[in-house]
Amino acid sequence: MALIFRLSGKRFGQQMLITDKSGLFNFVRPVTLKAKPALSEKEEGHDERNMRLKRPQSPHLTIYAPQLTSMLSITHRFTGMALSAYAIALGLGAVVLPESIPHYIEELECAEIGSSCISAIKFILAFPITYHFWNGIRHLLWDAGKFLTIREVYITGYVMLALAISSAIALSAM
Amino acid sequence: MNSARTRFCNSKLLKEFVRRFSKVKSECKDKNANAAKAPEKKPKLKTFSIYRFNPKDKTQKPTMKKYIIDINDCRPMVLDALFKIKTEQDSSLAFRRSCREGICGSCAMNIDGVNRLACLHKIKPRGVTKIYPLPHMYVVKDLVVDMTRFFDQYHRVKPYLIGKSGDKDQGGSQYLQSIKDREALDGYVECILCACCSTSCPEYWWHGHSKKPNDFLGPAALLHAYRWITDSRDYATKERLNQLKSYYSVYRCHQINNCTSVCPKRLAPGKAIANLRLLMSSFKKKKKPDMEGSLPAEPEKACDQACEAGDKKK
Repeated sequence: MALIFRLSGKRFGQQMLITDKSGLFNFVRPVTLKAKPALSEKEEGHDERNMRLKRPQSPHLTIYAPQLTSMLSITHRFTGMALSAYAIALGLGAVVLPESIPHYIEELECAEIGSSCISAIKFILAFPITYHFWNGIRHLLWDAGKFLTIREVYITGYVMLALAISSAIALSAM
Repeated sequence: MNSARTRFCNSKLLKEFVRRFSKVKSECKDKNANAAKAPEKKPKLKTFSIYRFNPKDKTQKPTMKKYIIDINDCRPMVLDALFKIKTEQDSSLAFRRSCREGICGSCAMNIDGVNRLACLHKIKPRGVTKIYPLPHMYVVKDLVVDMTRFFDQYHRVKPYLIGKSGDKDQGGSQYLQSIKDREALDGYVECILCACCSTSCPEYWWHGHSKKPNDFLGPAALLHAYRWITDSRDYATKERLNQLKSYYSVYRCHQINNCTSVCPKRLAPGKAIANLRLLMSSFKKKKKPDMEGSLPAEPEKACDQACEAGDKKK
């Protein structure tokens, strides 16, 4: 009997049931037990879990002290943005404005706003380039795996700042 | 021998030494007596402004609460001040701590705007010291944050030795490593996983919390990734590097170097990440190990086994 039960659970048992003509197996109903894995706990992501528990996010940008490391990094990004803004503005200006760009520069020179004012404008135009250039070199050195201890990071930072400002002044004095 | 000793005892040098020593001793005694007599010092009051959040109070938002303590009868570190506040003023203040000597990494928090270990940071005598939990983490209570993701990212870099494939001895024997190869790991193995670096990293704030595997692993996990890759006993360099080759895991680092500037163990996670990138772009190759192979974990036992095997042969 046990054998019949065991056979009936399997596929060929079912086949036997279909092909069985004597009717012996008709009394036996094949029962298949399906093994289902126990329902695991619902997989909850880190964020979902914390949001469900209504945990606040600790303050970050607003409370973190400004340090040379992060300030130089964010200035690098800002100068990059300024550079692309200059490029776009000058490019668009060349297309849209009725006169060519050198014409406006000449007009600005004739406007007699004072040499100091002009060199200030020049500095604003030049500083993003020099800063992005020298800090870019610093980044290249870092990519080569050099100057990455905190002392060296600070030294290269100050050297870069000095180079950037002095070369921007030199450019604006031209 | 004996005569030499008596000669030494009678020598002028020794007498001079004894005289000076007794003088110092008496001076010390005087000092102690003076200290006992000295009138009580004026209390040195110091204000701490501490981030508070109580999860039981769902409606309440996180607040800053001020505590004023006398730092004359407080030991020098911020952690001691926190203990003093907890025992004397507000027992509901929650913070993690364990070793109180900068080796467990539990008490990492943001003190005066910079991530530090409270046990290694001295109390500044003046001004208000602001204490926040680690930045951009979910707050469980007060200064305790949920570190689940941080440790998950650490586990994902497989922080253990992976030997040659088909190595049957794994775990049963000691891998050989030359002293020089071991020294190459200095500056990486000292990490205590306090999460100061990862939570000081703006890139980790913005990209460390995206869905895995598209998250920036953060300086701590990457430092460990590099530590296991450079280990001369590890043979899974290729697999490890391939695992990191995604848009987010390593390349989100913009070398701000906040990680290196805050590390309480003076390590340089930024350098580890730069080296990882060099390895990934194969500008740098992993050094061949000076020593290979392994020794039995229990040499005596192995010796016995070898002898037995020898006996059987006979």
